[in-house]
Amino acid sequence: MSNDAADLLVGASMDFLRNFSPFNRMEPGALTFLAERAVLAFHARGSEILTPESGVPSHFYIVQRGKIQARQTGQTTVTEYTSLTLGPGECFPIGAISARRPSTNAYVAVEDSFCFQISADDFLHLMQISPVFHLFCTQYIASLLSQSRQQLQSTFAQRAAEQQTMTTALGKLIEKEAVFVTPDTPTRSALERMSELHLGCMVVVDAERRPVGILTQSDLLPRVILAGFDLARPIGELMTANPHQLPASASAYDAALEMATHGVRHLLVVDSDSVLLGVVSERDLFSLQRISLRQIRAGIDNAADIEALQRASKDIRQLALNLIAQGIGAEQLTQFISALNDALTRRIIILARERHELVGIDFAWLAFGSEGRHEQTLSTDQDNGIIFRCAEPKQLKDTRARLVEFARTVNEDLAACGFPLCKGNIMASNPELCLTLDEWKSRFGDWIREPDPQALLNASIFFDFRVLYGNERFGDQLRSALNKGAKGNSAFLRMMAANALKVMPPLGRIRDFVVDEDGTIDMKKSGARLFVDVARILALRTGVESSSTVQRLRQGSTKIGGMSPEEVSAIIDGFNFIQLLRLRSQHLETEHDSAEDNRIDPESLNELDRRILKEAFRQARKLQLRLKLDYQL
Amino acid sequence: MSWLSRLKNARGNQPPLSAEAERALEAWHALAESAHEQPHFESRYVVLNTEATGLDLERDRLLAVGAIAVDGGLLHPQDAYHAQLEPLPGDALAGLLGFARNSPLVVFNATFNRTMLERAFSRMLGFTPEFLWIDLYFLLPSLFPERLERPGRLADWMAAFEIETFQRHHALGDAWAIAQLFLAAQSRALSLAVTSPRALAEHAQAYRQKIKV
Repeated sequence: MSNDAADLLVGASMDFLRNFSPFNRMEPGALTFLAERAVLAFHARGSEILTPESGVPSHFYIVQRGKIQARQTGQTTVTEYTSLTLGPGECFPIGAISARRPSTNAYVAVEDSFCFQISADDFLHLMQISPVFHLFCTQYIASLLSQSRQQLQSTFAQRAAEQQTMTTALGKLIEKEAVFVTPDTPTRSALERMSELHLGCMVVVDAERRPVGILTQSDLLPRVILAGFDLARPIGELMTANPHQLPASASAYDAALEMATHGVRHLLVVDSDSVLLGVVSERDLFSLQRISLRQIRAGIDNAADIEALQRASKDIRQLALNLIAQGIGAEQLTQFISALNDALTRRIIILARERHELVGIDFAWLAFGSEGRHEQTLSTDQDNGIIFRCAEPKQLKDTRARLVEFARTVNEDLAACGFPLCKGNIMASNPELCLTLDEWKSRFGDWIREPDPQALLNASIFFDFRVLYGNERFGDQLRSALNKGAKGNSAFLRMMAANALKVMPPLGRIRDFVVDEDGTIDMKKSGARLFVDVARILALRTGVESSSTVQRLRQGSTKIGGMSPEEVSAIIDGFNFIQLLRLRSQHLETEHDSAEDNRIDPESLNELDRRILKEAFRQARKLQLRLKLDYQL
Repeated sequence: MSWLSRLKNARGNQPPLSAEAERALEAWHALAESAHEQPHFESRYVVLNTEATGLDLERDRLLAVGAIAVDGGLLHPQDAYHAQLEPLPGDALAGLLGFARNSPLVVFNATFNRTMLERAFSRMLGFTPEFLWIDLYFLLPSLFPERLERPGRLADWMAAFEIETFQRHHALGDAWAIAQLFLAAQSRALSLAVTSPRALAEHAQAYRQKIKV
């Protein structure tokens, strides 16, 4: 049998392909490989060549003649086009076949068309043997993704907004016309109006209609009835001055957070000139919420014993799960959890103080790690310590012993309320972590001067501290000493950078993700940490006070420059999305009653989430690349 | 008498076949007959085209043969055959049989191509092999009346489908164009419930009968 026939036809295919990019630049060997394997098929007008329902594409197509239309299918638009027509020399599907996932487009012949096709295996082999083709495909995917990122985000935001109203601006939540009185109004007439209009509170405003005070129903019993207040006297004498207020542009989340933080049930909404617009009540925010923030907050603040706090802890959990189910964003969610956990921890500390003799001891309770960063998930174990002052060296031993005893009670109570004891004994009851300001400073200084692996590990936990209870000044002093020490030691920062770069974003060259043996990705170690570690270095280098990753990235990169606000926002979005996935998976895990962990199987995500996740990892890679350049690693 | 000795007698004073050609012939004779009733996607068709000194069946000689397989609805450039008849016409034709096996043969204008080929087979190999012939000359207008109402030339059909080839009037070059036309024909036939090689051949035949009237 003669082979010149095959050579002739393969040569003809090569001649055809050479008219188009990237085939005209392709290595001769690779082009031959392609032409030898490319078989020609006919697709009658109107016939579907490939659809999302076909599953993972088995072939890669190059249009030889005719027109093929790529149409978006499904509810989510992932590219800026809804349909795109492909002509001779153009190929499809690049993203889907590279990632071995079903196509998001339906490819339909809009004319009688001929397409060359090669098998998926041959496509992947071609990517391997041809750098030109590899670059072409990855650039195509990258451009598609960057183009689609904004689309994805708006779709995502829109979806979240449709699902719940927590992102609604407060201005839109106000239903009733604001009712108010002036401070000189006799209390009786103010109360009559409250009763008449069934109001939960009365707002007191000045002549410019700016809120100056508030009187709520719950104030009436202690302040009016029991106190025998003379109702003829002006309400100005009775009201709570300086009421909590938020601008109309603030979201329902902000309001809920404000209520939880301050333990109030009503918030005043004002315009940009501080003029009263209306009142938002807790009921307005959580009319559908079974457990209200205020209830939890009140439960914490009024808890007389650990049993009551245990109930509150369960409520926090339940609330977090409800909020996740509503589709709330990661940043807000972790803030909620953080605010409520802080309140819970403070209450535990206050209760423990009653059982321990600490009079005269000036101290602060420190939170480390994710708690220190305000980034607690639902399964964070304890990381805490104590910082104290001891003027008399003779009393140092005794003071420390008393604080350690007290801390042991707190640690145990926290454990009883669902914060597991730290396996590494990073707890205030460990005398090594119950230190004076000078001891902490010298501890931090040692790690910076001699950054061995253990010191670097310690830095990644302890440098993310914040004061949770007690004397805030200790925290400020320690922070400023730390920032000064780290800033002056570029060798230390360089070591931190090298350490941070040891973990790579789990992005695959051919597949979307590099997964562990069980097919999952550890979203803490190979996800959140990528951002957290770089943010810490950035903060130390630029002297950012905040311990939060988002704040560190935002403030630190502004100082260091070289990245546009949009680029920084994209990075922060990436981090937040990974945090959200972690919280969501914990949510689901809990529902299934299995151990919580940070493992996620990317295959179990929907197409949209998978794409955003890939983009998030790309952002992490960008951040790491920046670090690499900065420290020439 | 075996087909081989019959062949040797019949071929007269033609140059002897090469060992490879003899093996190809032997293998071809050993093939089982096909009913040609399997669906297109399980069929291997061979698109066959000839190149001759001219179009006069009486005087002109066969110069070259070109063939391309359409297997499972796909045109495989690697599965192709091309041979000049000179200097070893027996070998060229035996090679063609080895390539074609018992596949249905698709030609454009069977009157010329089939006649030219069968005469050559008979003269050079001493026998006329049996094939299922499918003639696009009749099949195409029967399937695509909206494009050409009556039988046309290859150039007309290529223009109608905007099909091009790397070299016109070359046995393999034209076969490449014919094969693409056949891909389109197969697709249309399927939509008309003409699902097997046998049905295709009959469809073309029926059209031929119809236009004679």
